[in-house]
Amino acid sequence: MRGQSISALLLRQGNSEGQLGRDAQVNTNSKNANSRMQVSCDKSEIIIMCFKNLPIEFDAQGVAHLKGGAIDPYGYQRREINRDKLKEMMARNGHIKDVSISPVTRVAGALSFHAVADLQERKFLEANSVATIFRGYEVILKGRDPRDAIYISSRACGVCGGVHSTAACEAIEMAFGISPPPLGTVLRNLALALDFLYDHPLHLFLLAGPDYSQVVVEATNPAMWEKAKLTEATNAEVHQHKTIGDIMKSLNPLSGGCYLDGLKMTRTPREAYAVLFGKYPHPQTVVPGGMSSTVTITDFNEVLTRLQKMLDWTKRMILLWDDLTEFFYEFNPEYKKIGALSPNLIDLGMWDDPDSYDATYERCNEWGEARWATPGVVIDGKLVTTKLQQINLGLEEFVEHSYYEDWNQNGNQRYLTDPLGAPLSPNHPWNKETMPKPSKESWKDRYTWDTAPRWDRQVVEAGCYARIWTTAAAGMMPKNDFLEATGHSLKIHMPKTMLREMDFEWKIPEVWNAFERNRARAYCMGYNLMIAYTMTLKAFDYLRKGEDKVSTKFEVPKGERRGVGFWGAGRGFLSHHLVLDKGAIVNYQIVTPSTFNASPKDPFGNPGPYEQAVLNTPIIEDFDKPENFTGVDMLRAIRSFDPCMPCTTHIYGGEREIIREVNTCACGAEG
Amino acid sequence: MRRGRVNRSGWYLVNVLVSGIGYSNMSDMSFGRVLLGELEQEQWSENVHVEDLNFGPIMIYQWLEEFPVKFDRAVFLTAANRGREPGTLEVYRWIDPQASVNEIQACIGEAVTGVISLENLLIVCRHFGVLPEDVTIVEIEPQKEDWGLEFSPVVAAKVGEALEIVRSEAMRTTADERG
Repeated sequence: MRGQSISALLLRQGNSEGQLGRDAQVNTNSKNANSRMQVSCDKSEIIIMCFKNLPIEFDAQGVAHLKGGAIDPYGYQRREINRDKLKEMMARNGHIKDVSISPVTRVAGALSFHAVADLQERKFLEANSVATIFRGYEVILKGRDPRDAIYISSRACGVCGGVHSTAACEAIEMAFGISPPPLGTVLRNLALALDFLYDHPLHLFLLAGPDYSQVVVEATNPAMWEKAKLTEATNAEVHQHKTIGDIMKSLNPLSGGCYLDGLKMTRTPREAYAVLFGKYPHPQTVVPGGMSSTVTITDFNEVLTRLQKMLDWTKRMILLWDDLTEFFYEFNPEYKKIGALSPNLIDLGMWDDPDSYDATYERCNEWGEARWATPGVVIDGKLVTTKLQQINLGLEEFVEHSYYEDWNQNGNQRYLTDPLGAPLSPNHPWNKETMPKPSKESWKDRYTWDTAPRWDRQVVEAGCYARIWTTAAAGMMPKNDFLEATGHSLKIHMPKTMLREMDFEWKIPEVWNAFERNRARAYCMGYNLMIAYTMTLKAFDYLRKGEDKVSTKFEVPKGERRGVGFWGAGRGFLSHHLVLDKGAIVNYQIVTPSTFNASPKDPFGNPGPYEQAVLNTPIIEDFDKPENFTGVDMLRAIRSFDPCMPCTTHIYGGEREIIREVNTCACGAEG
Repeated sequence: MRRGRVNRSGWYLVNVLVSGIGYSNMSDMSFGRVLLGELEQEQWSENVHVEDLNFGPIMIYQWLEEFPVKFDRAVFLTAANRGREPGTLEVYRWIDPQASVNEIQACIGEAVTGVISLENLLIVCRHFGVLPEDVTIVEIEPQKEDWGLEFSPVVAAKVGEALEIVRSEAMRTTADERG
């Protein structure tokens, strides 16, 4: 049995002596795993009560131990999936249909989705999320110089390469024992706030936006379109769309004003990003210990000019999504169930405090909590930790329903503990090996190239909305002129440009669904913009003081080292776990936001976030016969996560087959 | 209305955009991108502009929209697997496939998420009205399409010929270009 030797070894190491006598059984029951945890946000309680299912507890000093009494502390029983009843229902009832969408369009890359819908009862009975391509960055990186990871892992995504470069750098810095000078950290923060100013508008207006446009609403819910035309928009004075119908028209693909402006606005942050990172989307200037850019006041002035260009547009856009969301809720409260999930969220935080970040694992809780986005895990709407170490310890990946072999079969667990001596699961990324095993698609068995990452064996979702949520709830953000985390909201103060100065407040929502994901993403535009603004001002301060150093010298160590980059992508959580030996990469593991969100069922039978969100989605659209069913409600649910998958697509145009062999976004698959 | 310039022989020189498109390090599929490096090194007459367009097509569209010269012709070098004999070199004029709104939208969706693709570029740029009417594609059938820095022998043997075709297409004159 896996793990049997772990407790014995830990005993020998003395890590959990005295603790093992206690009764501790890993809870693998999926229902229990999702039940409400009795925790509060009080810091002392967080330390004690962070994990419910994993066999880890903390003493009064916050030191982690393996719970006593467990023979196989990380062992579990796999729950088999039985589809017999569903098959029988499908055979007996003509209104129960297979709904397969392959590929799901308007997402980054290749995502397929299979569902079974009861068109009479207007609900989904089964949902399977399928990442169709293996990318294998972990395999490519093995044996290479660790510095290669910065440039190779960047290619994992065609939108947010810089976040992978930075996560790789942070992992390397931890392994090398170096950290950037303050201006180097500020530069990274700034560039990666700019990155998201590209990422969010493209999702809100080019990918998800069309789902709420006139052409889609009129076709799938004519009564709503009639009502929208007559409903005045609350914030029309700012966003300049008199009615909700005008907003919907503006979201029409290729012709709507918002669609075209969204396209146009992708340019401004990209230009600013290129000023600092050299080029977009794959920077050449992110290096271990800082940046290789030579920056002057002029560069930051160029960035500032572009940030100012974005201020008014961002103000308008936040209020536009507010109005749209409230209209849907008012028209039919059932829309609150589209893509609904219990708010289980995970984020690693990002945007380091230049005075705190030292890249050490030993101080990761301190520099993590000093970040401008606070790390955290939210379970059933409650913040249960803000400690990077605890988030790391709770992380496991499962492959029972993925095209991979179980790397634990040989029984050799690379690391029993983290660098602080806290117990580590055999399924933790530092222990994981990527062993592809292509096989036939089976909804009972294996059906995707994505893995099933879980935290404390619970399903959690990632996103920029998780970042704003954990930051708002934690209330730990450094004091500044533009942003304030209140414990229940994030206040955003945006200065005057053409529009007046305005204050916004994103409040932790009472319901969690597709609309709230999109609304939070719109507010994240303001959050990112003011982070970028603040970092630009900080850069001016450092330059004024003559602190213009942006990098630190280093040597590649030859011994065995471990590192982890705790970072964030536009779509949320991003971790790079690294093991080095003899100056080369021994193991490299990437977990991205879409690895969480697009994940298949876990061994405990819990569906992944896309899957559960679809299962919770009622079918609201109007259709008179099954052939006219579009699945728009399901697609709204899926797209609200902003999926980023590996890409390979074919479309046919005229006499020539249009071929794309694409090597960009791998966010949803295996690194 | 003619936008080109007149040369010493009294011929109108139309403005020509030349590029090679493809991902790097993909063996024969990188044919256009690798040969772009060769083309950039050559001395071209002032009406020919060689540019690296291996970015998302939205960036290309925005660049073309603002570029001070409006191009009359574009010549693109690329590789595409169309089931022909490997090493087959074809030259053809690109005909707008009249993509539907949904197809254009899909191309834009891919473009903003980082896809580099010649046909995506053509559809997006044509939709936004920044692509010249006269678009010539010089295209090779690949043999080796996986990771790699080298061309397969059959494709490597066509490098000189492909470059020559691009040169002649870039400098080609037509009846209405004569002064």
